[in-house]
Amino acid sequence: MENKDLPLELVLIGGSSGSFVIFEEILKLLDRPLSCAILFVLHRGKSSLFELPKLFRSKTQVRMEEPQHLDPIMKNCIYFAVPDYHLLVGPDERFYLDGTEKDFFSRPSLDATFISAAQSGIYIKAAMIFSGASEDGALGMKIIAERGFKTYVQNPTIAEVERMPAAAIRTHGKHHILTENVFEEIRSILYSYST
Amino acid sequence: MNMTMLEYEELEALIVKVREISGFDFSGYARPSLLRRASRFLNRHTMSLSDLMTHIEQGGKAVYDFIQELTVNYSEMFRDPDFFIKLRSEVFSYLESYPAVRIWVAGCASGEEAYSLAILLKETGMYNRALIYATDLSERVLASAREGVFGLGHMRTFSENYMLSGCKNSLSDYYHVAYSQAVMVPDLRKNIVFSLHDLTGDGVFNEFQMVSCRNVMIYFNLEQRQEVFRLLYESLAMFGFLCLGKRETLRYSGFEENFRIIDSHLNIYQKIR
Ligand SMILES: C[S@@+](CC[C@H](N)C(=O)[O-])C[C@H]1O[C@@H](n2cnc3c(N)ncnc32)[C@H](O)[C@@H]1O
Repeated sequence: MENKDLPLELVLIGGSSGSFVIFEEILKLLDRPLSCAILFVLHRGKSSLFELPKLFRSKTQVRMEEPQHLDPIMKNCIYFAVPDYHLLVGPDERFYLDGTEKDFFSRPSLDATFISAAQSGIYIKAAMIFSGASEDGALGMKIIAERGFKTYVQNPTIAEVERMPAAAIRTHGKHHILTENVFEEIRSILYSYST
Repeated sequence: MNMTMLEYEELEALIVKVREISGFDFSGYARPSLLRRASRFLNRHTMSLSDLMTHIEQGGKAVYDFIQELTVNYSEMFRDPDFFIKLRSEVFSYLESYPAVRIWVAGCASGEEAYSLAILLKETGMYNRALIYATDLSERVLASAREGVFGLGHMRTFSENYMLSGCKNSLSDYYHVAYSQAVMVPDLRKNIVFSLHDLTGDGVFNEFQMVSCRNVMIYFNLEQRQEVFRLLYESLAMFGFLCLGKRETLRYSGFEENFRIIDSHLNIYQKIR
């Protein structure tokens, strides 16, 4: 599984209000090593002091981190964007923290991470977007889909707050919609082999 | 929604053009952030890349607006108040015994941080022995730093920061209001020298007991960042203090072994070898 020669693959997962519990459920699915790196971007307040890796410690055995500026992106690792910075993905397979203006009143923003990942040239195994009260992420998802990568949106009707997934669907009509057996489907996406 | 999205190759061409026309060299800056900011600049001004290239070639204001966008001049007085609390308890308490203290604020923007330090030095009774060199590569921001004038709208945030910084007075003791602007009292300016200095091109110009380079390192790429760390290291006296911004650590600096950690969250370090 942990083959050093395989190129890096990313899974991007974003959400805002109502997504915390979903992230928790996704982490519980991760009971085996991963061939990819998973990046979680959750809207959070500037002075939010919770370190998500600590908060989620009991959910999975896979390594969790809040990446620092210039950290190399590693497979089989789960990353959480820190508050008050955008988390950018560089073509050199490193993270870059960016302190420039907010998108949709949010830093970190989903768009910043998703767009930078799309432009990095790194293979995106999947990008997903869940519940939230903002339109952030819609543009990033569209760009990722247009570059031929797989994109998944939680069905707005089952989302706690529908605005974020609804905006993603409105901006681009061809995302795959997650409606039934959502977590089983996510599990099979995360553990699938890329073709 | 019609968005212009720059690609990395286009960004490189832009960097070359800006260098040719203005002398500003962004080649040592982190590409992902530059790409984000350059794309946003184009969209905000509804410009295409070729429009921007033409504007740059013609020289004049457009180049400097663009450069300003890329260098990010955002600052606050008493930004990250916890930092100023620690500075007083861990750094100033140490420097108190020095007969003279030289401080370098590298990347000082419009002077917010330099004025904050001046106030803290005053309140700790060290101001008359201290000299603050505040530098930036932007002549524009330096000009406003020298004036010491800030919009009243900002003063509210600055005052809140000030109060959270464990200071004893009120920020309004240090400015007066004229034409809806806050003008810092001239006395604060007395021991501050504002001057042009490019961290990516200019060298060591003095020896300091403290260097504050906050929210600047984040703009450089790995190699450039190492070079800037060397410059800061060489500018520090032995046992001098290095202050970096929130989330800016010594990781990948090449100088991890040369400093002792004073505070690993607020990123205060002391040169020990
Ligand atoms: C975000 S501001 C930080 C201001 C202040 N230190 C603070 O923490 O609030 C960054 C500043 O660094 C300056 N800067 C960027 N590149 C620089 C360079 N190569 N040399 C000197 N200053 C630079 C910018 O002009 C800008 O004013």
